[in-house]
Amino acid sequence: MRTEAFSEVQTGYAVARKPTIWEVLTSEKYFKWTLLIPLLVVLAIFMLYPLLYCAYYSFHQWGMRGEAIYVGAQNYRQLLNDKAFLEALYRTLKVLVICVSCELLIGLGLALLWSREFPGENIVRGLALLPLLVAPLILSLLWNFMFEYDFGAVNLILQALGLNKVYWWSPQRALYTICFITIWQWFPFSTFVLVAGLRSLPRDVFEAAKVDGASPWYTFRRLTLPMLSPLIMIIVVLRTMWLIRLFDPLYGTTRGGVQTELLDWIVYRTAFVYFDIGYGSTMAIFSLVLTIAVCAIMFKMLMRALGGTR
Amino acid sequence: MGTLGKVVFWLVTAFVLFVIVAPLAWIYLTAFKSPNDIFTTEARKLIFFKPTMENFNRLFREFPFWDNFLNTVIISVASTVVVMVISSLAAYSFARWNTGKGHLLFTTISTRMFPGVVAAIPFFVMYRNLGLLDTRFGLTLLHIYFNTSFATFLLYGFFKEIPEELEQAAMVDGYSRVDIFRKIVLPLVRPGLAVTAVFCLVWSWNEFLFSFLFTRVAARPVTVLISSFWGSIEVQYGPMAAGAAIVILPTLVAAWFMQRYIIRGLTFGAVKG
Repeated sequence: MRTEAFSEVQTGYAVARKPTIWEVLTSEKYFKWTLLIPLLVVLAIFMLYPLLYCAYYSFHQWGMRGEAIYVGAQNYRQLLNDKAFLEALYRTLKVLVICVSCELLIGLGLALLWSREFPGENIVRGLALLPLLVAPLILSLLWNFMFEYDFGAVNLILQALGLNKVYWWSPQRALYTICFITIWQWFPFSTFVLVAGLRSLPRDVFEAAKVDGASPWYTFRRLTLPMLSPLIMIIVVLRTMWLIRLFDPLYGTTRGGVQTELLDWIVYRTAFVYFDIGYGSTMAIFSLVLTIAVCAIMFKMLMRALGGTR
Repeated sequence: MGTLGKVVFWLVTAFVLFVIVAPLAWIYLTAFKSPNDIFTTEARKLIFFKPTMENFNRLFREFPFWDNFLNTVIISVASTVVVMVISSLAAYSFARWNTGKGHLLFTTISTRMFPGVVAAIPFFVMYRNLGLLDTRFGLTLLHIYFNTSFATFLLYGFFKEIPEELEQAAMVDGYSRVDIFRKIVLPLVRPGLAVTAVFCLVWSWNEFLFSFLFTRVAARPVTVLISSFWGSIEVQYGPMAAGAAIVILPTLVAAWFMQRYIIRGLTFGAVKG
């Protein structure tokens, strides 16, 4: 009896068709993960692998030839005493502060100017947004020529106006000139983010404030700015993410010379010019940790802002 | 606005537009100048000069401009196609099921903060061992990497806008999950796919760091060729401007026609401009 029942169960199993792999992958339970497989593969290869690789070599000395020698935390100690690196770090933070604050100020001013609808708006917006999608490298080459001492358009115009020519690429000015190029390309970004913000503000609140006799400055400070703050946050975080890795404008202009070496440039120079993979990895890891630290402070707020305006 | 207000408004607007457009126009002016007019110290010649095709002729004759241009086209199109497949699948999963409860989406977006050089070091060593340096295939892989997170996040916003009820109705009609995605969701999200694809094309078109580090001759994209005109010995402003004029044209056209979507794209979908 017992054996019979057992064999019946067995046949029951054998008859039920085993689901094909495709059916499992597209089943209600697993489909959402199936969709993610390609992305997870890309993340594993291009994020996890470099991270582990750099972390590993940051504790080694290796010049791309021969065996890597384990040196413990020596690279990190060297980094903290490396004057060139600390200067590059300081310069990067300086560029960050200058560019973000200038872009925000110009952006806010222009956003207030263009916040109401006006005739020809599409043309103004179309023209203003043009530089945003042009390769930063090509724009920096262009500005490099425009700021040239003898033949550059800027100096020729200054001269025609009876002013003195300026040596834009002097060690004192070069970093600010690079900041200018970056601000020039990116101020339309903050401008139109804030225009979008201003246009979505509720009108009735401002009318109420007007009825109550609030001064324009008071309205701006107490109503407009607080309501724009999520958007300002978005601008600050996104621009920080991009600026911390500024590389192309350096290549198109000073190539890290005349005291303009920034964080990514010094990593590039160490790893790809001197082929010091170990020390370069240490710098790269440091630069990554710094980016995350700077952004993590604001990231929660950004995610909230991203969720809030959607 | 009073009359005075209007005058001030248009003066400021005109000034800002001049500051933005003049340098871009400058590229096109320089491209048609002879060397004598480029290396002039007369302000008048900035605008008034005799146009010539000399720079373009030199660019096409003496440099592998069109070969490099073709590399750029192949790499950006190939990487964009792959990115769109990967990202649309993933973005749909994130938008419909909130897969990974936000953590995975956060991880994806954080690859955008990843410094390019961190990825460049290990991949340079690996590519050298695998013989992938200076190949279009190798560079395409790297472009896939840096565009995937961006595309996923942008598409996530577009997929979120599709009402879930539509899919439920389709399920009642007996559609499978795969059919729903292919026949209902994808057609609805088509404008979003187009916008995202154009952005990926532009980023890949403009990319410089990886292109510069991972290619030498055969797979060199056109941005790297143009950067080489600014050498330490001689600066070839003429061919540089001619090349730049051609290379930035597609991105300028894209910026003009996508003006409604640029802010949305650059903020990863957070702000609808």
